[in-house]
Amino acid sequence: MRSRGLLWIALAMLRADRRGALLDAAAACVGAAALVFFLALGLGVSASARRMFPADARLVEVLPGNVTLGGVLGGGRLDDDAVRRLAALPGAAAAWPRLSLRVPVAASGPPAGMQYNWPPGMTLQVPVVGVAPELLGGDVGAGLRFEDGGPGGTIPVVLSRRLLEIYDKTIAPAWGVRRLPAGLSIVGVELPVRVGFSIVPQKTEDRIVEARLKLVGLSDRVPIYQLAMPLQTVRRLHAEYGKPDQGFTQVTLLAASPDAVPALTAAVRRMGLSVDEGERASAERVGTVVAVTTGALVFLAGVMCALAALAIARSLSASVRGRVKEIAVLQALGAAPSDVRGVVLAEGALVGLAGGLVGVALAIAAMPLADRAAAALLPDFPFRPETFFARPAWLALLGLAVPVLAAVLGALAPAALAARVDPARALS
Amino acid sequence: MIRLRGVTKSFRDAGGEVPVLRGVDLDVAAGEMVAIVGPSGSGKSTLLYVAGALDRDFQGEAVIADVPLAGLAPAARADLRNRAVGFVFQSFNLLTGLSAIENVMLPGLLRRGAPRSLAEIRAHAADALRQVALSDKAEQPPARLSGGERQRVAIARALFAGPKVLLADEPTGNLDAVTGEGIIRLFAELAAAGLSVLVVTHEERVSRAASRVLHLAEGRLGS
Repeated sequence: MRSRGLLWIALAMLRADRRGALLDAAAACVGAAALVFFLALGLGVSASARRMFPADARLVEVLPGNVTLGGVLGGGRLDDDAVRRLAALPGAAAAWPRLSLRVPVAASGPPAGMQYNWPPGMTLQVPVVGVAPELLGGDVGAGLRFEDGGPGGTIPVVLSRRLLEIYDKTIAPAWGVRRLPAGLSIVGVELPVRVGFSIVPQKTEDRIVEARLKLVGLSDRVPIYQLAMPLQTVRRLHAEYGKPDQGFTQVTLLAASPDAVPALTAAVRRMGLSVDEGERASAERVGTVVAVTTGALVFLAGVMCALAALAIARSLSASVRGRVKEIAVLQALGAAPSDVRGVVLAEGALVGLAGGLVGVALAIAAMPLADRAAAALLPDFPFRPETFFARPAWLALLGLAVPVLAAVLGALAPAALAARVDPARALS
Repeated sequence: MIRLRGVTKSFRDAGGEVPVLRGVDLDVAAGEMVAIVGPSGSGKSTLLYVAGALDRDFQGEAVIADVPLAGLAPAARADLRNRAVGFVFQSFNLLTGLSAIENVMLPGLLRRGAPRSLAEIRAHAADALRQVALSDKAEQPPARLSGGERQRVAIARALFAGPKVLLADEPTGNLDAVTGEGIIRLFAELAAAGLSVLVVTHEERVSRAASRVLHLAEGRLGS
């Protein structure tokens, strides 16, 4: 009961000085609202950036070596042996080769049922890369297979998930064609193509074969502007069209953990191979920009909370000085200095809690308004999220905890001042 | 009971040490009402705060309600004040932001150990107000009460915890004659009921009601 009793007294003290308590709570409210709003914005934008650049922190993209002594001696080539050696490196969990198709593939018509999405007379050169099925993991649709069906068979392909977003927001408006209806699953559609045909006449092969590409999945591990088909299919087509083996275009190396990546990268370079850090660097750059911006905004919110703490310290100190006699009366009635300190700290905590509750509510209420304003003011761009804010439950708890903590910190000095009141002198 | 032996206290000012109490001996037995009289600034209130365990900065020996104050930790002194000592002040010293009953509840809210619910404390405070005939003013703030009513609320608050010692500092100083008489009668009744009552006053009517009257002059106590 006693701690509840002290809390009751603290509430009564605040009630007696409603105006001061409201002003202190308003200061805490501003800090809490800013903290929750900016942090939610930072987390939301960060999540959007991750969708835009879904770089897996464990992946290392290995390219054939540049012209080096190792390369001259054959050390920089990406062949089956190199893939085996890469997979055996300490810290490597798997190595998946990629091979760009050097036989041109072109589509001159839309997939069945998607005529509205194909500009009349357009021929599209389709860049293709062969990948190991293991690279795609679980991205292949249920009941579908990603394996070479042999000559004349339908060729399974996988598309970058991000390409759909770019198609909807950039390509479709530029071509003047319909966007893909929301929620439409295009997995399973077939696209008629001509293998061996190029829109550049000199590159067209002697033999042109009609074929069908069947979309069997969407994946973030497929290069954004390429179609991925089974590595075996690419090798078969190279053989059919007499393309000499030039080794793999790229090998995706999976590290056992993100911490193993630096050592793995160094080992790859020692093998005379190169590492493509373009996508990872982009992701890291965007992540850094978002993190720095969020950090700056959160720092600003932290400064607001600190200012709230100072305001509360100033206000409570003045309040304590004005209540010296009341504090002495409490001591005469049985309050120890620690009780007096507890009452003043509880006053600070209650003010912080009230401010925090209102601040969190205001921040949460402001988020849809900000989204609505962004929807009206910003152009439609790829990966634009429905909301720019993330709302994890812990954020609301943080929005309550920080102003309470700030208010309690602000109340420390006034509480010490109150605990030092000499009741005999104050009552004389 | 109250027992003071050789209590000495001085204040420090620009001119140096100013003695206020000089070796004061005092006994107030249970059931006794003792009045301390003396001129302003003679140290009457200081003596009262020493006897009420509010002032710890003195030399000498003090035993209140059978508890020696020497070496008592601040929390233990606070507990002693809460359980065994009731204070009544000249200016009532009610908390203005609280209602009458909430003021009376304060000692219950500050009580250590023996947890009681808020409802129990409130019910007990209502009983205390009934004893001073103020049940109908329980929810009124002090500002809406007369001087006599405020002092009765203060007495109800002082009696809330069932103290053994009641200390009053000029309890009738701000009251009219009729109201003051009523308060003095109440103190005499409380002493008769077994409390040790120590009243600091310079009013003769209070002295008349006391079992003993002691004079404090130049820091020394005499009959």
